[in-house]
Amino acid sequence: MNRREALFSLGSMAAAGGLASRAGAAELKGFPKQTAMSADHLPTPARSGGGFQVLKSETDQKTVKAVFDRLIPADDFGPSASEAGCLEFLDDQLSGDYGAGKALYLEAPLSPENEEAIMGAPQFLSTPRERYETGLKALEAYAQETDGAAFHALSPDRIDEILTGLEAGEIDLGEGVNGQAFFELMLQNVREGYLADPLYGGNRDMAGWKMIGFPGARYDYRPYVDRRNEDLGLTPVSLIPND
Amino acid sequence: MAKWIKIAGGVVVIAAVGAGVWAWDSLNTGRSKVAGDSVTLAEFTSEDAEAVERGEYVMRMGDCAACHTREAGEFAGGYEIATPFGTLVSSNITPDAETGIGGMTEKDFFNALRQGIGQHGMLYPAMPYTAYAKFTDRDMHDLWAYMSTVEPVQNDIDENGGMPFPFNIRLAMAGWDMLFFDNSGFEPVASESDAWNRGKYIVDGGGHCAACHSPRNALGAEVASAYLQGGNIGDWYAPDLTPNPHVGLGGSSAEDIATYLKTGTDGVAVAAGPMAEAVEHSLQYLTDEDALAVGTYLTSLPASDNPAPKAASLAETDMARLTDVYEVNCSACHGLDGEGIEGMVPAFSANHGLLGDPTNMIHAMLKGTRAAHTHDAQTAAGMPSFAWKMDDTQVADILTYVRNSFGNGAEAVSPEAVAEMREALDAREPLRAATN
Repeated sequence: MNRREALFSLGSMAAAGGLASRAGAAELKGFPKQTAMSADHLPTPARSGGGFQVLKSETDQKTVKAVFDRLIPADDFGPSASEAGCLEFLDDQLSGDYGAGKALYLEAPLSPENEEAIMGAPQFLSTPRERYETGLKALEAYAQETDGAAFHALSPDRIDEILTGLEAGEIDLGEGVNGQAFFELMLQNVREGYLADPLYGGNRDMAGWKMIGFPGARYDYRPYVDRRNEDLGLTPVSLIPND
Repeated sequence: MAKWIKIAGGVVVIAAVGAGVWAWDSLNTGRSKVAGDSVTLAEFTSEDAEAVERGEYVMRMGDCAACHTREAGEFAGGYEIATPFGTLVSSNITPDAETGIGGMTEKDFFNALRQGIGQHGMLYPAMPYTAYAKFTDRDMHDLWAYMSTVEPVQNDIDENGGMPFPFNIRLAMAGWDMLFFDNSGFEPVASESDAWNRGKYIVDGGGHCAACHSPRNALGAEVASAYLQGGNIGDWYAPDLTPNPHVGLGGSSAEDIATYLKTGTDGVAVAAGPMAEAVEHSLQYLTDEDALAVGTYLTSLPASDNPAPKAASLAETDMARLTDVYEVNCSACHGLDGEGIEGMVPAFSANHGLLGDPTNMIHAMLKGTRAAHTHDAQTAAGMPSFAWKMDDTQVADILTYVRNSFGNGAEAVSPEAVAEMREALDAREPLRAATN
């Protein structure tokens, strides 16, 4: 392309761009009449019924429960992760857009060291759903190999030991599984399940919010702004009232 | 409506057609003699700028655009009006000769507007000719002048194609007119003030307030004995406009009413739904004198005997729970003490409008609504729909709470009423969290 052609094509591109933007522009006058919530802006509650969609195998369920209930065990402050619905939360998330990695760039090529250095954390081409599928199998295989028993059958102390080892990057779960990153993923998800709005399946009875004193999805705190250093005793509120 | 009412109604209408032959009074077009009968609207464009301007004011007062302006263009018709008898479509009233009213002479125009005698036959009383009958000759001449300046739009409309037999027989309206139509002009009452008479002229004539605010009988005619005492208009309720102290305008001054008409709010109540449209398109254009005249007239009416609503009794535990629900969902705009936001958001305290028929409150909860956008109050604050969030019982509970707090007392709202409205309005079902 010579300079004349280049200029010419620039001109037609500009013209096309101008046309396109004019055609796509919506002119707003006055104010929006619509008062219903746009479907795009509404949350998607966890599925009701139908059993597990991703964590179908009983072993997988038991392995996740064993891990989650060591990360957030039942104590005087609240129920365990599984009692609070974190397994249902995780399964629902993995069966949807989150599990499919809809928000992630999953195209090759990937140079792990390079991307990890740039992003500050390991990067993957596999979706969160795939990482759970391979990770849980690797974890079970590790327990069978080292302890000769199922992971969920191990003692709490032994599970803590394995989790600590994974977190420190000292346990190798084999080819294709980054044990340390898998531990981080599970820790992140169990926290989300315990503290997300109950409409997503976890945080049952708002146990997580009661534990940390979070009052939930309240719109307006003006009545309380001036009341410092006191327990306001606010009942947590879900986005969707459930009573 | 029960089927028998519809059938009985049809029989009465047909019987009335026979009687209508003698209905000389309602069909007597003597009042239109003052109008010209040689030039059609299509052939004529008024050059009397002052008459055109006055005519525009009459058009605003009559709110012609409310029904006759839709997507097809200004005054080009096409608004579908669901009546208990079938669907009517508003006509094209632009000066287009083929599809509009361009073929009408001024006399035809007078006959149609004041007597419901149209160019394709009798008009249906969804067109408030029963009220426009009160228009003075001068207002009619001015309106004719204004309509001559409207841009003709080609838009062919089958006004009663959606009406089933026998309601598609326009001639039946002659019988209806004989029964219910008062073919007489406005008669000032000498013992009353000019402002009162002007107010009555606007309320009963162009403003056609009773079209919504009076209840209608089984044949769709306004019930004169309950004049302006409140009417159900499908999925909205037009409240009692008499000075009834419980559910009407008792306690409102003529000035309060004038402010409401001009801005859409009197500082306590805020117009929503069809009333917001009436304010936006019509009432805000009233001059200060005319708005005050309406207030003068309405405050002079005898108060209806609509009784004081009985307070619902809520258990203390329910009150405590609902106080929290109110705080979480309502208080940010309507205030912890139900004080609202002056000029934008309705107050719940000292607001009679919410103590009567709960239709408007249920409608607002399920579909949301918006305040009028007027020259003086431009915010047009929106009430969001709660249909996505609350089920029928939750909507009913919070409305019952509001109707029985802040000094209020009124009957409980039933979940069944909410369910019925949710279906009628095609409002969505609430989201629900997982239960397994």
